[in-house]
Amino acid sequence: MGRINRDVVIAVVLVVFTAVFYGATYGIRKTSYGTVGSEVWPRTILIALGTLCLIYLINSWRARHETQGERGGGGLRGWFSTYRNALLCFGMYALFLATLDYLGMLIGGILFVFLLLNLLGGWSPRRLAIHGAIAVSTMGAMWAVFTFGLRVFLPEGEILRIW
Amino acid sequence: MLIENILGAAEALFTIQTMALMILGVAAGLIAGAIPGFTITMAIVLTLPFTFGMPPIQGLATMLGVFVGGLSGGLMAGILTGIPGTPSSVATTFDGFPMARKGRPGLALGIGVWSSFFGGIISAVLLMTLAPQLARVGLEFGPWDFFALVLFALTITASLSGDNLVKGLIAGAMGLLVATVGSDEINGVERFSFGFEPVEQGFSFLPVLVGLFAFSQLLSDVQDPAKAREPLMPPGAKAVRIEHAKAIREVLSRWGNLIRSSLIGVFTGILPAAGGSISNILAYDQAKKASKRPQDFGTGTPDGIIAPEAANNATAGGALITMMALGIPGDIVTAIMLGALLIHDVIPSPTFITDSPTLAYGIFMAFFFANFIMLGLQAVCLRAFVMVTRMRMYVLTAVILAYCGIGIFALNNIVFDMWTLLIFGVLGLAMKVLGFPLAPMILGVVLGHIAELNLNRALSTSDDLTLFFTRPWALFFLILAVYSSVFPWFQRDRGKKRWTLWFLPAMSISMAPPLFLMGGVARPIVGGLLLAVGGYLLWGHARNGWQLESVAEHDVHLEET
Repeated sequence: MGRINRDVVIAVVLVVFTAVFYGATYGIRKTSYGTVGSEVWPRTILIALGTLCLIYLINSWRARHETQGERGGGGLRGWFSTYRNALLCFGMYALFLATLDYLGMLIGGILFVFLLLNLLGGWSPRRLAIHGAIAVSTMGAMWAVFTFGLRVFLPEGEILRIW
Repeated sequence: MLIENILGAAEALFTIQTMALMILGVAAGLIAGAIPGFTITMAIVLTLPFTFGMPPIQGLATMLGVFVGGLSGGLMAGILTGIPGTPSSVATTFDGFPMARKGRPGLALGIGVWSSFFGGIISAVLLMTLAPQLARVGLEFGPWDFFALVLFALTITASLSGDNLVKGLIAGAMGLLVATVGSDEINGVERFSFGFEPVEQGFSFLPVLVGLFAFSQLLSDVQDPAKAREPLMPPGAKAVRIEHAKAIREVLSRWGNLIRSSLIGVFTGILPAAGGSISNILAYDQAKKASKRPQDFGTGTPDGIIAPEAANNATAGGALITMMALGIPGDIVTAIMLGALLIHDVIPSPTFITDSPTLAYGIFMAFFFANFIMLGLQAVCLRAFVMVTRMRMYVLTAVILAYCGIGIFALNNIVFDMWTLLIFGVLGLAMKVLGFPLAPMILGVVLGHIAELNLNRALSTSDDLTLFFTRPWALFFLILAVYSSVFPWFQRDRGKKRWTLWFLPAMSISMAPPLFLMGGVARPIVGGLLLAVGGYLLWGHARNGWQLESVAEHDVHLEET
């Protein structure tokens, strides 16, 4: 990235984000009722946000030489290795949500906990058994509390529905 | 009237079911507070879904139990292992751990437990007496004043949240922006949905909060794969017998420190967004300054345990005062509680205490009794805490992520809320990694609607913008907002640059004019006192030849409690 640091990139992204949202305020429907339009408050926030982002950009640009040494090495691989666990959690959670209609909260939840435990904790046979027990007991208990105790209708999924 | 309200609240509160739930809540809070990385806010967030089906008083009593338990639970880990369970018990470790290492862990725990108890009781009494008075003051507020109060809440949160004020303010503005997405409450007009149907009604308040806070917190806890597989704490924590009798004597013989620290806690709690993570350090520093033997601090002196523990428990009462009297959350925990109240269609405002006295006094009493329950449960939970420390963080993370999902779904029975949780979880983690504080964003989300509603009312009533600067309360809050914005520079330069000598006197003096404008008797007197304090501080600096003074060792920063 040559002379720019991470903060400069974030500041630029924020400025663009603010500009896009500011542009979107012109798409807000104007009503014939109400003294204050619905776009007034978002615009006020976006003007303040835009000003702050520009200050952040200027500060980051001025401080770019001081923070050059802070940049971590390793490139993309290093980044993946640092955030491996977080990415696994996000990925598994997204998968859990995407399959919710088919697996339901009970089966999907057990699988989510079980797989995540193995991905984070390891796949040895002993751990597999412990993780399985944890997944079934914790999710089973919580599903029972919500379904029978709190009378919340949790998604049952295609599989349980067929049964 | 007061007796009637208390009796009405007692009838609703003292049922077997509610008491059992409070005991469970306190026990859960004590254990959660004791686990490093597992904050009180997260414990409250996890409790929240279970309270949806309960009557408001029962749900809030349970959450207050978790809150009080969590504030006291942090001391167990701090004293026995030197690792604070929560940011609100950081200062407890300074003297608690050395005392435990000197062979008095039972006494150290006892002092911590009883200081927490007395701090909690003092703040409960102040909550009962001050909240109705503050609510009466709140009735004077017009929309201009409420809007200025929200601005002050956001600037003080941003300034206390970290070294970079600009990042804090950006986070606060982002929070306000998130609150504008979806259908506008006033005109019913859709905003920023970009044609995506699920967000046409806006993001639900709690999935955003849970995602930003709990989800991102859990993921940062397991970021290091090796650490995530280790037990929560290194071996060393052992259940010990708490020396109650000796501890009570030690605490009561230092009543001056106890009361001062409790008052610091209550005052910090009253300030919007400032929580136990600040009050425990402030109280510790004040106790050290006031002590005849400051050199003993850090070596295991009882005063060093009493101050932070009394202060952090007292902060809870202070935070509740602001939430119940003005509808402005005193910290992140009370922001979540505000969300819980909104779920039950209860909207805290200056009229809340008079409109819903049973619920309001029920909250007062639940907070009061939670402290007694905490006292009774400490010994039992100490054993449970020692067992819990053997768990691995990754196990907690996986299970809690799933629980968060179920809890959030149960809120509205909408799967999109779970996606909201994920999206804001990603955003929360990204913000943390990039050095943006989360507290201002959370406050922004919570206060966004209040700010917009009041701005709308103000502009609808009059197009005269000078009212924001000429109405006494609005001016008062704006002055505070300005000084809170400068606070990070003051904190950085204090003891190093001369301009900092002007900061406190100038703040005192400039807060006086709005108080004079308010009229009456008491407020001009307070204004006069502020002028006198400002003048006295200036005179003191002039007498010392404008010499820079040495400053406290511990910086004050807001962390998620």
